Amino acid sequence: MRWSQAVVTPVADPRRRWLGALLVVALALIAALAARPVVPGLEETMLWQVALPRAAVALLAGAALGLSGALLQHVLRNPIADPSTLGIASGAQFALTIALAYAPGLLGFGREAVALAGGAATAALVLGAGWRGGLDPVAVVLSGMMVSLLVGALSATLILAKGDYVLSLFIWGAGVLDQQDWGSAGTLGIRLAMGLAASLLLLRPLAVLGLDDAGARSLGVRLSGVRLAALALAVWLAATVTAEVGVIAFIGLAAPALARFAGARTIRQVMLAAPLAGALVLSLTDSLVQLGGSQGRDLAPTGAVTALLGGPLLLLLLARRRAEPRRHPASAPVSRRLSRPLPRLGLLAAGAVLAALAALCLGRSAQGWHLATGPLFMELLPLRWPRLAAAGGAGAMLAAAGLILQRITGNPMASPEVLGVSAGSGVGLSVMLLAGGASGPLLFAGMGAGALAVLAIMLIVAARLSFGPESFLLAGLACGASCMAILSVVLSSGGMAAYMLLVWMSGSTNRVGPGEALTALGAALVLIAPVFLLARWLSILPLGPGASHGVGLPVRQARLTLAVLAALLTGMASFVVGPLSLVGLMAPHLAHLAGFARLREQLAAALLIGATLLVLADWLARLVVFPYQVPTGLFAALIGVPYLLWLLNRAQRPRCA
Amino acid sequence: MKADGGIGRRVLLAAAAAFPFGAPVGAKAAMRAATLDWAILETLLALGHPPVAATELVQFREIAVEPPVPEGVADLGLRGLPNLETLLLARPDVIFNSNFYVALEARLTTIAPVEGFTLYRPGVAPYEAALAMTRRIAARLGIAAAAETLIGGVEADFARARQRLGPMDRPVLPINLGDARHFRAFGFDSMIGEALRHIGIENAWTLPTSYSAAAPLGLETLARHGEAWIAIIGPVPPDAADVLRRSALWRALPAVGAGRVMWLDPVNPFGALPSTQRFARLLADALVASRGDARG
Repeated sequence: MRWSQAVVTPVADPRRRWLGALLVVALALIAALAARPVVPGLEETMLWQVALPRAAVALLAGAALGLSGALLQHVLRNPIADPSTLGIASGAQFALTIALAYAPGLLGFGREAVALAGGAATAALVLGAGWRGGLDPVAVVLSGMMVSLLVGALSATLILAKGDYVLSLFIWGAGVLDQQDWGSAGTLGIRLAMGLAASLLLLRPLAVLGLDDAGARSLGVRLSGVRLAALALAVWLAATVTAEVGVIAFIGLAAPALARFAGARTIRQVMLAAPLAGALVLSLTDSLVQLGGSQGRDLAPTGAVTALLGGPLLLLLLARRRAEPRRHPASAPVSRRLSRPLPRLGLLAAGAVLAALAALCLGRSAQGWHLATGPLFMELLPLRWPRLAAAGGAGAMLAAAGLILQRITGNPMASPEVLGVSAGSGVGLSVMLLAGGASGPLLFAGMGAGALAVLAIMLIVAARLSFGPESFLLAGLACGASCMAILSVVLSSGGMAAYMLLVWMSGSTNRVGPGEALTALGAALVLIAPVFLLARWLSILPLGPGASHGVGLPVRQARLTLAVLAALLTGMASFVVGPLSLVGLMAPHLAHLAGFARLREQLAAALLIGATLLVLADWLARLVVFPYQVPTGLFAALIGVPYLLWLLNRAQRPRCA
Repeated sequence: MKADGGIGRRVLLAAAAAFPFGAPVGAKAAMRAATLDWAILETLLALGHPPVAATELVQFREIAVEPPVPEGVADLGLRGLPNLETLLLARPDVIFNSNFYVALEARLTTIAPVEGFTLYRPGVAPYEAALAMTRRIAARLGIAAAAETLIGGVEADFARARQRLGPMDRPVLPINLGDARHFRAFGFDSMIGEALRHIGIENAWTLPTSYSAAAPLGLETLARHGEAWIAIIGPVPPDAADVLRRSALWRALPAVGAGRVMWLDPVNPFGALPSTQRFARLLADALVASRGDARG
């Protein structure tokens, strides 16, 4: 194992650390209890049925998540696995969302069962995709977080579609621990006790599992059965917590890491220490959230705060990892290089024109499908061309940004969406919205700044920590997750800013008028033209700083210029289609796949492909569930995420040793 | 208007929408109105002048319930994502818009002239704005008398409710449940709050309305209003009611212990005059029915 589980310096006296932590958590808890709102006449109930159950639920849910995380990490031999990074929690939440919106009767069977079904389904999806690659830790977590993103986007669309049930959907989105009786505490307590008992029963076979597969098999342990049992246990614990209090992210990640930090070494120690650590961390977070609030209102949903802290934590864990042997990174699919690329570029251009024509002419109305010609065409044109132009421009910009990022990071899986740059532009947007800014240029400036800030962090991380290619992607996703957590705090605060943010997050071209469309097209032209001029930098940079210096390239300056360019492209494009389309990932790959190997050719082809993809997505998005529209960015992501999963899976296969 | 062979289905539907009760006497071609906003939609329906197109009709029929939406009104889809092409093809002469959808105004003006209203403004009581909006919409449609009829009917209903209830010694706390642990309260700056004022009931919620898509208030907040009746306005999320009945805090609330809780049918929470009228009626019915059970 390349992981740093054993690298942590042994502690002189672990008990001291535990005592210190206990003391801090207890003090915070007492402070939160003391500061609880006073309700005349109900003091007793407020203490015994509200404050204390909440304290208990924080401890129990934290412990259950800690145990779940420890089990997952051990079984998958993956120190960055946890219910949130594997998509289990968001899957459970998504199942609850669907049930609430479309089949409330199902919830009669119990929230737990519904959540379990959702959690198990996403776990099966994520692990199934990574199975053949030997469950490579980083790749599995990458898939898990991508699935989380997708499921989150689907939930946002459901919220838009279901008007009034928004209320509770929002609350489940970022877990909250408010209680008003001992019901949840009881449920969680029983599940935790059962989970601990089952883990103890599994302890011996699990310890054997710590050896490699061959060694374990020679000891006569039925590996797959034990693995499956432990996985099921972990998924069940996480689903129960989600059903009771919503998504509480990253506790399962932090707890085992803290346990090891405090000196837990053997599996038995970790299995006992991780729940304790999880309980302490969640309790502390929850106390602080209450103390930071006012008038009985919390500062932010507890789950959003843990998610916010989760991003940096994941970065830290990745940084502790021992130097990763330089492997061949997951590469973009390649086919034979074209000797004469022009005819095929012409073909792509013709495809783009066809897609544009379809988007302009083919539509749907209450009477069915129609081919708009003549006067009807002229009438619909002012509604259709701005969408078309904006979608096409955004697609081209994302393609260019994706290509730049893939080249300057030397990582063929980089893209604005995966590296969190798009989410960063969302944070910029929400800052502007909260500050009262409403004009287009102001909002765009905010988005550009947000994108640039995240990109700067990512580049610094890449430079300082010498991450391997996949860890770098994961760091990007972690950064994106933190940005998304900030967005969910804004969303849960409600108000006009929240509403506009929700519309933006779902990625809709509906509100684009001629002005915005021309701005998008103009920005595309102005920002993409220099990329062609910088083609030399882009072809040399992937060779590494040494080689680049060797041929006289000003590496620092080149990277900086290109990064700014990519950030601006991303900010502008996400303004139109929201944070989640993955066109920036797909377009350069498809161009490569089509045989465009030289940079300028690949760029030209990627631009055409990116534009075509988003134009088609935008067109289909307004047709499939007419008159209700699916947000464009989401529709594109529905294609993009499976593609990324396939890519990850495909890249792992040759490498399982 | 007669259907001869040359008239297509759409024309018929549009005609049905424009003249719901047969051709209005002496009217020229009636104005074809459209809207994205539910408060305006219910106003148009109550004025007897249904729009040719409006948003989220499926949900509207479930949550706002009345006035009924006639067949033939084109569904524009989500309020956040209205289908502009359908709106265009519904051929409105005028689009009434609200401050919630002001971001789309530029797009709407390319389809038809837009008249915008601001009903809800945090901290400002909306009743006067609702009256003005109703009158302006009617005037624009050339049916000014209909506005006075509607307003007269609403105020007569208020007076009737006031009479039925007599002097109220307790305030009422009107809320929406988000889930079994959170609610949204309606203050003086909502039409629900205005309905209370007009039927002579004190609103227990003295703070501004909790404007937000989320239900931001923890249930324990209700304990501060032990003296009040709690009016839970539907729709109630499916699992919330069950969980609530088992909740120790809920049962410990003074209002719950004394049986002062009313479950009302769904009401459009951010509506105009018609939903205010509906709320006042539902509340008066519920109060009359339950005051008998819970004296005090």
